[in-house]
Amino acid sequence: MTTALTRPPLVRSSDRVIAGVCAGLAAHLGWPVKNVRIGMALATLAGGAGLAFYAWLWIMVPTADESARRNAKRPASPIAPGVTLDPAFSAVPPPASPSPGPPVAAPWWGNPDAGAFAPGGVSGGGPGAGYRDAVRPPWFRGRSMRHGKEMLLGAGLLLVAGILIAQLLGVDVPLGTLIPAAAVLGGAAIAWMQLDETRRAGLVDKTKADQAGGWARLAAGLALVVAGVLVMVSGSGSWEQTWLALLASVAVLGGVVLVLLPWALKFWRDLETERAGRIRETERAEIAAHLHDSVLQTLALIQRRAGNEHDVVRLARAQERELRSWLFQDPGKEAGQLSDRIKAVGAEVEDSLGNAVEVVSVGDTAMTESHEALVQASREAMLNASRHGGGPVSVYLEVSDGRTEIFIKDRGPGFDLPDVPEDRLGVRESIIGRMKRHGGSASITSTPDGTEVRLGMPALQTDNAEGKS
Amino acid sequence: MNNVQGTGPIRPAQPVRVVIVDDHAIFRSGLKADLDESIHVVGEAATVEQAIAVIAQEHPEVVLLDVHLPGGLGGGGREVIAGSAALLGTTKFLALSVSDAAEDVVSVIRAGARGYVTKTISGAEITDAVFRVAGGDAVFSPRLAGFVLDAFGTAPADIADDELDRLSARELEVMRLIARGYSYKEVAKELFISIKTVETHVSAVLRKLQLSSRHELTKWAAERRLL
Repeated sequence: MTTALTRPPLVRSSDRVIAGVCAGLAAHLGWPVKNVRIGMALATLAGGAGLAFYAWLWIMVPTADESARRNAKRPASPIAPGVTLDPAFSAVPPPASPSPGPPVAAPWWGNPDAGAFAPGGVSGGGPGAGYRDAVRPPWFRGRSMRHGKEMLLGAGLLLVAGILIAQLLGVDVPLGTLIPAAAVLGGAAIAWMQLDETRRAGLVDKTKADQAGGWARLAAGLALVVAGVLVMVSGSGSWEQTWLALLASVAVLGGVVLVLLPWALKFWRDLETERAGRIRETERAEIAAHLHDSVLQTLALIQRRAGNEHDVVRLARAQERELRSWLFQDPGKEAGQLSDRIKAVGAEVEDSLGNAVEVVSVGDTAMTESHEALVQASREAMLNASRHGGGPVSVYLEVSDGRTEIFIKDRGPGFDLPDVPEDRLGVRESIIGRMKRHGGSASITSTPDGTEVRLGMPALQTDNAEGKS
Repeated sequence: MNNVQGTGPIRPAQPVRVVIVDDHAIFRSGLKADLDESIHVVGEAATVEQAIAVIAQEHPEVVLLDVHLPGGLGGGGREVIAGSAALLGTTKFLALSVSDAAEDVVSVIRAGARGYVTKTISGAEITDAVFRVAGGDAVFSPRLAGFVLDAFGTAPADIADDELDRLSARELEVMRLIARGYSYKEVAKELFISIKTVETHVSAVLRKLQLSSRHELTKWAAERRLL
């Protein structure tokens, strides 16, 4: 297999006499076109075998255009279109090897060329199977029994062949029993396959067309089974009798369906109602559990601390925040954004110092290292504002294309920056110094009406550059 | 939410007639007790239908309107404003909400409310807001200003023809300061303009918020569930 030979896909050629089959086959096998054509003609003389083969290829092999279209739709696969094969091309390829020829050309039960009638060709095998899977019509696509249907069909055909041979050899085969039995088995197989498909379709996708096809198959399976059973039971091959019995049984079935339908519908509806009820019940239980763990506990705490207004407000605000985030949190939103961090820091400051911290954010961005510094600096500013301002703190975060800005404002008595002692690390180091080190800026405006800290951080590309310098 | 405090809107000589619409009786009585004595609560309502009836009967100057209300077609405060459209010239609506969801706030503002405050606001603040709304001004909390900035974008308008869809540079500045927690008075001082000019800018922003055909506004609000 190491000296691999690439074969062009088997497609019907546009250079054609009738349908381009011979030219395509020649291109695929690497033989001269003339030889193939002569071979085909000779085979036709041999009891029409060539004709049958030609017709079969005509039906099964796509034209070059069709093939290209299908290839375009096919998902990428590790197996390249040209499938490698042992150069010493044998009539019976090893079963484990990828099926020769391109999958689009290969009918799903076997290969059109030499290996077609060998056992290996029936089951296909190896990675080639998954490949065929992709081009196979959807109703044959399965995961669990990838080769199951091929095997089944092959076995069936072998059985038929065996019976025919046996008959030719003069063995008396009870066809009258065998055919109905085969019909029953086949019908059941079709119906059960359908059951399996619908279950799978429920998981993958549910399209109307699929369902319609499913119903058709179910009906076909049912019809086959009923007809088979009838013929078997009636025991006679008489067509008229069978026909009458068929009619009668269909009438009986119809009657049964008519009688049972209301019950079935009611049963189905009850089942749906019960299921919906169960879902609601689960949701309710979840909400109740959450409220119990959070709100009820907080209310109990508030009652015990009723004398302390500060504690009551703090508890109420913390609970409000928690409940709000639980109720309105958008699960689709990306976690760990800058605004989330700022809000979390605000909540932390509010919890520890008891003054409300109101965060308003406009725009958002993913966290980076320098943003982390921004968060830490604003945390320090919030702590200062809450501690010295003694009232509610307003935090405003604005993220625009160019830069990220955070404003922290309180309504305290204010202070003069030069008056802040050198050893007070809060303002100088944690806010101003930290912002400078990370390429940002910080300024503090303080009036008797309040203090505002402004933090600015340029957008990503610039702060990356500054971070390196 | 503390921006309306101490900005000193002119107290009207006569008491302001107010209707409170909220489905929680405890909240209504609490709010009534909190309001200044120069505010007369002339009616209360708990549902959309009651609210429309009481407003039509009392012709109040200001309606304190909860965004979420039972009854009607499920439209809540928005539906009350739509049902009282004939009075919109004389009766002003101030939206109250615990929800903070952009969709709720923007929808009630676009229906015609003159402002929006959260229910956690103090009695003094809400009294101020009522006076301000009664005087024809708009009441913007920092959060509402944040919504506006987020919805309209933070880049100023430079072309005249999309005037309704963008904020002017000055309006942006005012909105930013309000979002930062500045009172109208502080905004005026910061920008070296009069309080009256600030009020004009805020009213202009409110008008844009209400009239803008900008389809992103509704879409934006629907997507942005929590601010």
